[in-house]
Amino acid sequence: MAAPELAQIDPEGIEGVRMTWLNWPRSKVEASKCVIPIAASIQPIRPHVDLQILPYPPLRCKTCSSVLNPFCRVDFTALIWICPFCFQRNHFPQHYSSLSQTNMPAELYPNFPSIEYLIPNYQNPQNYNPAVAAPSPIFLFVLDTCMIEEELDFARSALKRAIGMLPENAMVGFISYGTQVQVHELGFSEMSKVYVFRGSKELSKDQVLEQLGLGVSGSRRTGPGIQKGGGGGPSPIAGAGPNSGINRFLLPASECEYTLDTLLDELATDQWPVAPGNRALRCTGVALSVAAGLLGASTAGTGARIVALVGGPCTEGPGAIVSKDLSDPVRSHKDLDKDAAPFFKKAVHFYDELGKQLVSQGHVLDVFASALDQVGIAEMKVAIEKTGGLVVLAESFGHSVFKDSFKRIFEGGEQSLGLSFNGTLEINCSKDIKIQGIIGPCTSLEKKGPAVANTVIGQGNTTAWKMCGLDKSTCLTVFFDVASSEKSDPAGTNPQLFIQFLTSYQSPDGQMRLRVTTVTRRWVDSTLGNEDLVQGFDQEVAAVVMARQASYKMEMEEGFDATRWIDRNLIRLCSKFGDYRKDDPASFTLNPCFSLFPQFMFNLRRSQFVQVFNNSPDETAYFRILLNRETISNAAVMIQPSLISYAFSSLPAPALLDVQSIAADRILLLDSYFSVVIFHGMTIAQWRNMGYQNQPEHQGFALLLQAPQDDAQLIIRDRFPVPRLVVCDQHGSQARFLLAKLNPSATYSNAHEMMNTGSDVIFTDDVSLQVFIDHLQRLAVQAS
Amino acid sequence: LDAAALPRPLDGDVEPKSLAEMYPMNCDPRFLRLTTSGIPNSQSLASRWHLPIGAVVCPLAESPVGEEVPVVNFATTGIIRCRRCRTYVNPYVTFTDIGRKWRCNMCSLLNDVPGEYFAHVDASGRRSDLDQRPELTKGSVEFIAPAEYMVRPPMPPLYFFLIDVSISAVQSGMLEVMAQTIKSCLDTLPGSTRTQIGFITYDSTIHFYNMKSSLLQPQMMVVSDLDDIFIPLPDDLLVNLSESRSVVEAFLDSLPTMFQGNMNMESAFGPALRAAFMVMSQLGGKLLIFQNTLPSLGVGRLRLRGDDVRVYGTDKEHTLRVPEDPFYKQMAADFTKYQIAVNVYAFSDKYTDIASLGTLAKYTGGQVYYYPSFQSNIQKDKLRHELARDLTRETAWEAVMRIRCGKGVRFTSYHGNFMLRSTDLVALPAVDCDKAYAAQLSLEETLLTTQTVYFQVALLYTSSSGERRIRVHTAAAPVVADLGEMYRLADTGAIISLFSRLAIEKTLSSKLEDARNAVQLRIVKALREYRNLYAVQHRLSGRLIYPESLKFLPLYGLALCKSTALRGGYADALLDERCAAGYTMMALPVKSLLKLLYPNLVRVDDSLVKTDEFNIIGKRLPLTAESLDTRGLYIFDDGFRFVIWFGRSISPDIARNLLGEDFSADYSKVSLSQRDNEMSRKLMKILNTFRESDPSYFQLCHLVRQGEQPREGFFLLTNLVEDQTGGANG
Ligand SMILES: [Zn+2]
Ligand SMILES: [Zn+2]
Repeated sequence: MAAPELAQIDPEGIEGVRMTWLNWPRSKVEASKCVIPIAASIQPIRPHVDLQILPYPPLRCKTCSSVLNPFCRVDFTALIWICPFCFQRNHFPQHYSSLSQTNMPAELYPNFPSIEYLIPNYQNPQNYNPAVAAPSPIFLFVLDTCMIEEELDFARSALKRAIGMLPENAMVGFISYGTQVQVHELGFSEMSKVYVFRGSKELSKDQVLEQLGLGVSGSRRTGPGIQKGGGGGPSPIAGAGPNSGINRFLLPASECEYTLDTLLDELATDQWPVAPGNRALRCTGVALSVAAGLLGASTAGTGARIVALVGGPCTEGPGAIVSKDLSDPVRSHKDLDKDAAPFFKKAVHFYDELGKQLVSQGHVLDVFASALDQVGIAEMKVAIEKTGGLVVLAESFGHSVFKDSFKRIFEGGEQSLGLSFNGTLEINCSKDIKIQGIIGPCTSLEKKGPAVANTVIGQGNTTAWKMCGLDKSTCLTVFFDVASSEKSDPAGTNPQLFIQFLTSYQSPDGQMRLRVTTVTRRWVDSTLGNEDLVQGFDQEVAAVVMARQASYKMEMEEGFDATRWIDRNLIRLCSKFGDYRKDDPASFTLNPCFSLFPQFMFNLRRSQFVQVFNNSPDETAYFRILLNRETISNAAVMIQPSLISYAFSSLPAPALLDVQSIAADRILLLDSYFSVVIFHGMTIAQWRNMGYQNQPEHQGFALLLQAPQDDAQLIIRDRFPVPRLVVCDQHGSQARFLLAKLNPSATYSNAHEMMNTGSDVIFTDDVSLQVFIDHLQRLAVQAS
Repeated sequence: LDAAALPRPLDGDVEPKSLAEMYPMNCDPRFLRLTTSGIPNSQSLASRWHLPIGAVVCPLAESPVGEEVPVVNFATTGIIRCRRCRTYVNPYVTFTDIGRKWRCNMCSLLNDVPGEYFAHVDASGRRSDLDQRPELTKGSVEFIAPAEYMVRPPMPPLYFFLIDVSISAVQSGMLEVMAQTIKSCLDTLPGSTRTQIGFITYDSTIHFYNMKSSLLQPQMMVVSDLDDIFIPLPDDLLVNLSESRSVVEAFLDSLPTMFQGNMNMESAFGPALRAAFMVMSQLGGKLLIFQNTLPSLGVGRLRLRGDDVRVYGTDKEHTLRVPEDPFYKQMAADFTKYQIAVNVYAFSDKYTDIASLGTLAKYTGGQVYYYPSFQSNIQKDKLRHELARDLTRETAWEAVMRIRCGKGVRFTSYHGNFMLRSTDLVALPAVDCDKAYAAQLSLEETLLTTQTVYFQVALLYTSSSGERRIRVHTAAAPVVADLGEMYRLADTGAIISLFSRLAIEKTLSSKLEDARNAVQLRIVKALREYRNLYAVQHRLSGRLIYPESLKFLPLYGLALCKSTALRGGYADALLDERCAAGYTMMALPVKSLLKLLYPNLVRVDDSLVKTDEFNIIGKRLPLTAESLDTRGLYIFDDGFRFVIWFGRSISPDIARNLLGEDFSADYSKVSLSQRDNEMSRKLMKILNTFRESDPSYFQLCHLVRQGEQPREGFFLLTNLVEDQTGGANG
């Protein structure tokens, strides 16, 4: 088998789009024969050095409202452009009159398939001036207080640091909760003041607003409150009158940093007693719905995120995932399988509704969970994903996985995640292309149209999606279908197909932007041969799409057997695209365009996405959320970790993801996305323990020791969530983090055959890659 | 009835002395007064008496220095009580069998004397240790109660404040005065380091305060779910005052300003009350409610029932004076059950349904303080004084009271602010020296054969210092077979006290007119009986005659009918004032009640001018307009307020000295303050002397100029009980 190839240089390019198939089969039947669906992985707002920002509004086709793009045919004399999607002839407006072949606006340049427009601020649409103060983003922090003092301390300092890093104009709110929910009125100057909600009671948005004095009759019923002067720029916030507005609860970061610092210092762990043998009463559900309700009072269109720090399972009120009784364990995958998780469906329904509310408001839910047990990510997943929220799962708020990830959110500059708000994705496509749906962090806006396919995958039934939160690396998988009408187009018509992705969003600095990406691909008649299809196959994308689809089906389809599904598809794919003589396994070969795919599938079968029983439902949900929203290369690492070997004799080199790569005189660096493992071979570890690296004559050893550390830091620095770094030695207890990911080519059943000194034996019954490939070849060549 | 012909009680309340002379070991009459000490020996005799037979008890009446009730600690002996009737050992038990037995004076049972209590008895029955045994020589003693008198550890003194912070509470200045007053009393609250304190404020929402001692400032916690009120914190809403002193002070300092801009007009009083109950129910204590606005939100919301003139005189009239919503009585019952006493301070300038609110005080042993249209610039001194008195007077906690009496008689009804726990056990979550209770006696079928009837009042309570105690007052009264003796031993004060309670209770189920008629009828019947008895001897037919002991009864009866609680009809008193007066009178000790009914009227202009330092206060004058000289300056004092009347022809010198340039202004806007001249100082001294004579309430000064209507009529003329004008249909 080939070694993992070195990462391609920027395979997404300026488009930010990668597809399973570069060339598309012409008919539905042919498409289905391709086994791997036609899907595009898109990063709607991926940064790129060549990306042009146009300070003027886009030109749109008057029929289909596609945006002017390099694929439009332009008649420079008549000043007309022809829409490639609907063939409408559109006149250029007056200010394009100087247009000529040699004087083209950027949006017509073929090397700018992606382009970005600054959109006038919605607050004053008639006055087109992007410099007008943008609405301030809102950060509503929600902090669990049912934790031990030490954890609360970690959370406290993380919050304090975060608030200090927020842009001055960011609006900040704070909610703490435990048995009950406390909404802190930061604008009240006399003393610390909170609004308290019962943790056991489900509240509608209106009830929340009413109780906070933000309701319709708010002006009549408000409590005391000192309104901070609205100096400096327009407020993003609605408010009927003095003392009644949401700005009692949300203040500019610069104004409330001190208040929040003091408040956090005085904040105690939840005071309600916990009966022996019971879990703390923790009302995460009500806390989040109160947070959502509070944000509901902000002006429509204001970007806002709920940043929740959760320290344990919800046991009180809606959204509860487990009973208060400690002797009832939190649901496992087995429980879910056997329908023995009495809280699960109700909680998921609750979070589904919460997600809908947040989407309708355009707001994001981020969850930072830290607990030894589960907190309910599996139930919250729907709300997090639908709103495009971030999620980080850590063992402790003191752990770097949480601490550094949390910090990343608020960082600016190069390191910034580029957190954006209020995104909307629209897709226009050529006739005969249908959209089945999207897997990824978004919500269907149910915008019907001719391009909507009959079958639905993920968020479907639409050509437009809401992304309340999105960032530089946000990635969506769009599943396409080809119209069932075979040969609808007589030969000779345009062999190109076009797809336009229109992403409008509010950038971190508050500007409204529209990213327009127009891509073209080629129709091919696969009945004439596979060559075009084979050459256009992107196996990395295909592997990730398979993983995403398998995960999706495992969640959606009862009794779905992912392993069999993967095997069957792989066999079908190999049958179709492999070169072989029927019934002769030895004759089987695969084109290089496919050659990595079986190994991807082998690792996918063994991955946390398919072997869910090794993890908790929370972990699985966490892995899946990230699988669905990360870039192709990151997702590929999740499926098939990368392994780099460091030795004296050679440069660092990719190593086989196989137990045979372990050697006593090597250091291995494993990147499995969620963790980065530095593994010292036995000899290396001994030398290190003896301190050779500190001796001048062994400088080479010191460098060898340092190299994987530096590379690990490079990975960690760029990744969100920050992975767990494990440094371990061969035969050490932590070594399992590496061994679990390696191909068990040497297991105890064949150990005697492989007395390769220095190598390890993995104690597992899993089939090895070689056995897997042998089976595959045998089955692929069988007559179907 | 010609009032002018009646003897006037110009010396105020005079306690009868005859009984004390007969039974010197009786408790002092300030603790227990009988309407007549001559207990009739038969029902037929009792029925000819026509007046109520009963007692007025003030178990914690303040004792002058040197006459404090002695405290007795039986320690391991246990408290000596009759095995059968549970009477406490008292001066009237007798020792026999050389001191080994004692006979109960109530039920005559012969009880064993416990070994540790044994003392030799001489031939006359005197125990040798008598001079060391106050319980055998004094009518009033206080026993330290051992553990079996406790159902739980003695509770600490606890003051919880439920404070309206709606717009009117802020704007009237109530909030500020209240906060300052509480703060000034923190050092003098009973209980020293044990005292607990807590606060809730409310408008349309309920605000709790976390007073945890480690905080620098309190934390305000708002609960808006009025339909489903709950406590936002398990602890620290009620805190130990000395531990959280600085947080409490920080809170009281902020309270007036933090609600400065509050425009909220609503009152979620009922939910707030429930919230207070939830916080307090663990311990009990005193709940002080400061209420400015008609409860408008949530449970217990009240409507503007209106004081409809058309209802007066119909059989629906009394419904105005009773709570409409059963919530209030239910809450009161819950409060009593959990040892919570409620005092209501009401301040509204509009109808605020005192009838309903007062129920809370009535059934919890509490009190209603009413400051209609409170404005701090005028009424702050009154609120300050009365609140301070309420907070700092010695208070007995989680108390129950029982009045025992000898065979043949029995207490059948109790009247005052409390709830009956069983037929004869009065539950008093808190009780103090300003509270009196009345009870009526009835006779059993048979003739009383004994010479003496004994009464014993026992109040079991927790002292502010955390001791469980039993205060016991014992009195003996002779059994008489003759109506004349009953008259001779009658006590007008006690009779009027009982009468007023009966009459006020009657206004809750009948028309005002019926309540007044009932009083008058009984007095008339009693006097007719007396005349029938003595007319022959005196041969004075046609003239009103009365026994010496009851000579003030007719005038007090008249005054009672003209009191705010009972007078006239619709126009003669605002409904809220009438109800507030009723609740107040139900709790007043005899002396204060008599002063309220027949206030002091004295002329002071002479005293101001004269230099005589010794006799600056003139003698009391009859309550009639004829007493008023147009050149004079008069003080009218009913214990609750002063009316200072300036005659039309008063010397301008006096007026200017007392009022400065304000003397010609509208008196409703003038408040009296001490000025830098002898006359002003003297007047203030007089007023202070009056105030000090009874500190239970504060007399607010109202200045009235002769002929200035309607002020003069409202403040003074209606209260001149002897005049026709005094209370219209009187
Ligand atoms: Zn078009
Ligand atoms: Zn007895």
